[in-house]
Amino acid sequence: MELLFTTFLYTFLFVVLYFQVFLILTLVEHKENLDAESVGSDTLARKPSVTIIVPIFNEEKTVVKTVLSLLDLNYPKDKLFVMVVDDGSKDSSWDVVQQFKDNPQVLLHKKENGGKYTALNYAIEHATSELIGCLDADSFVDSEALIHMMPYFDNPEVAAVTPSLKIQNPDSILGMVQSAEYSMGVFTRKILGLLDAQYVTPGPFSIFRREVFSKVGMYKHAHNTEDLEMALRLQDHHYKITNAHKAVVYTVGPRTLYKLYKQRVRWTGGFIQNTIDYKKMILNPKYGNLGLLILPLAMYSIVGSMIFLCYNLYTFTTNVIQEIERLNIVGFNWDFHAFTFEWYFYNLQTTFFLGIFAISVVLFAIWYGKKLTGIKDKHSFDFVYFLLIYSLISPLWLVTSVYNTIIKRDAAWR
Amino acid sequence: MRQPIDKNKYIITFIITAIIFAGMLYINNILDEKRFGDTKAIQDQIALDLLSSDTQFNLLKETSCKNVNGSILSKELNSLATKLTYLEANDSGAKSDELLYLKKYYSLLQIKDSLLMKQLSQKCSSKPISVLYFYGDKKDCPACTEMSYVLTHLREQYPELRIYSFDTNLNLSAIDTLKSIYKIDVRQLPAIVYNDDTYTGFKSIDEMKTIIPELKKLDAIKNASSTAKVSSSTPKDSQ
Repeated sequence: MELLFTTFLYTFLFVVLYFQVFLILTLVEHKENLDAESVGSDTLARKPSVTIIVPIFNEEKTVVKTVLSLLDLNYPKDKLFVMVVDDGSKDSSWDVVQQFKDNPQVLLHKKENGGKYTALNYAIEHATSELIGCLDADSFVDSEALIHMMPYFDNPEVAAVTPSLKIQNPDSILGMVQSAEYSMGVFTRKILGLLDAQYVTPGPFSIFRREVFSKVGMYKHAHNTEDLEMALRLQDHHYKITNAHKAVVYTVGPRTLYKLYKQRVRWTGGFIQNTIDYKKMILNPKYGNLGLLILPLAMYSIVGSMIFLCYNLYTFTTNVIQEIERLNIVGFNWDFHAFTFEWYFYNLQTTFFLGIFAISVVLFAIWYGKKLTGIKDKHSFDFVYFLLIYSLISPLWLVTSVYNTIIKRDAAWR
Repeated sequence: MRQPIDKNKYIITFIITAIIFAGMLYINNILDEKRFGDTKAIQDQIALDLLSSDTQFNLLKETSCKNVNGSILSKELNSLATKLTYLEANDSGAKSDELLYLKKYYSLLQIKDSLLMKQLSQKCSSKPISVLYFYGDKKDCPACTEMSYVLTHLREQYPELRIYSFDTNLNLSAIDTLKSIYKIDVRQLPAIVYNDDTYTGFKSIDEMKTIIPELKKLDAIKNASSTAKVSSSTPKDSQ
């Protein structure tokens, strides 16, 4: 048992290290070009027409701010349209958005409730612009975001462009944890973009060519993660998904642990189940780095984390049982063993050094993610919260997602 | 066109990863060496101390008892025991031979110390409380873990108590001799020897105190001093 686990642990660490080295090598390879990638609005050769869909379901509190942030985008007014689709809200969302009914840029639609993907499909059918995107009503765009994304569409192979996501005003511990996590996400998404290996086109503000939908089909239910399935489907058709790291979108992260848990169960479960649906890509060199490295690694990391978790629980339980046995025999006493600060007893094992190395790379990714967007981040110390808390809470949704996959249950939206 | 797979990059990544991995293993190895070196150094120190006590004892035959101080020794033996336990618990298998050697050496030091103490108590009427403890593998002797909890607890409570512990699986002739002297049956572990009497099987704290009446005496002294403190403070409180 011990030997088996040690072997697994070393393999797992090796794979993690391999992945990290691979990401950093990719960064080194492309570092020179990153700054030159996006240009300002004055030099932009072409400004195609864009429709941004805002699907709403009971979002009376945030929808106006979301629409206003879109209208505030630095983009010609005759080329930018906002299509609000009320997916059968039961609150006053529909009344609230009526304030935009005279704005020629804003199109208001109402339909029967059918889930987010049906709202998206409804809008895609009604839109006429060349490009189409979506912005959830809990997210807001930086005014330069669209301008930064346009140059990537000059390449006719590009079907979709993803933005950089940041957490809007992280004012709680949980917010800080997510803020650091999203910064790391900025870094990872950029690198995956460079590798042609993005497997999510995030709901907030990924922009697509409209014609792509007529070629690959419309959004599907896709285990409640339609943005993940769409990216995998585009990859399946060998379309290019690229990332505009300077296009910043702010999103309001879940404020309570329970809501965060629900969101992550949906994401993780959606990833596992959609990847299973597209399992033909795994280890298939036809799908490039995505098939050969990224998807297998992501799946392996989920399985690995589960084993890791089980082992930790096992060790913890054995230790507790042992301690109870001991207390049973000798009784409780307050003479705690004096702490020895001798280096001798520090568990400086290989795993420890590798762990330190892995954490350093994570810290680097967080820092670099903040730097990439070109927008100054006020929350430079959010990584502390991330390191302290993330590994404690992430097992919660990991276990549930894997369990849901096994019993074939889709996680609910809310 | 999808970015083609860059085979060289995959290989270079593998090489870099392997180098980092090997580097970490190497650092770990150096630290392990140092750990064993440290343990060895402590053992050498104890050996020197024992030799010195031995010499002291020989000199004693001609002089008085008052210059003899044996309390330092057992403390060092205890710290050595803790370190050996740590090494054993974190043993990756690569160093088993070295560990076995250290354990044998430690056992010999214990025997030597116990003999010295015996001689000392005969000659100088000092009464150190010493116990020999024989244990085995977890699978041969499931009760040994529990027994060790009791003994560790007793050692913490009574610094006067000396416990010499012997792994019966160690394959050391000196331990075998001890086993035959005290008629230790390896099928009846754990075994405790006190005052040349052998007791087998698990013994609770209370049972241990019955076997070693000196511990009860120590309790009585402790209680007396604590009640004395309480009674002396009571009048103050009532004022």
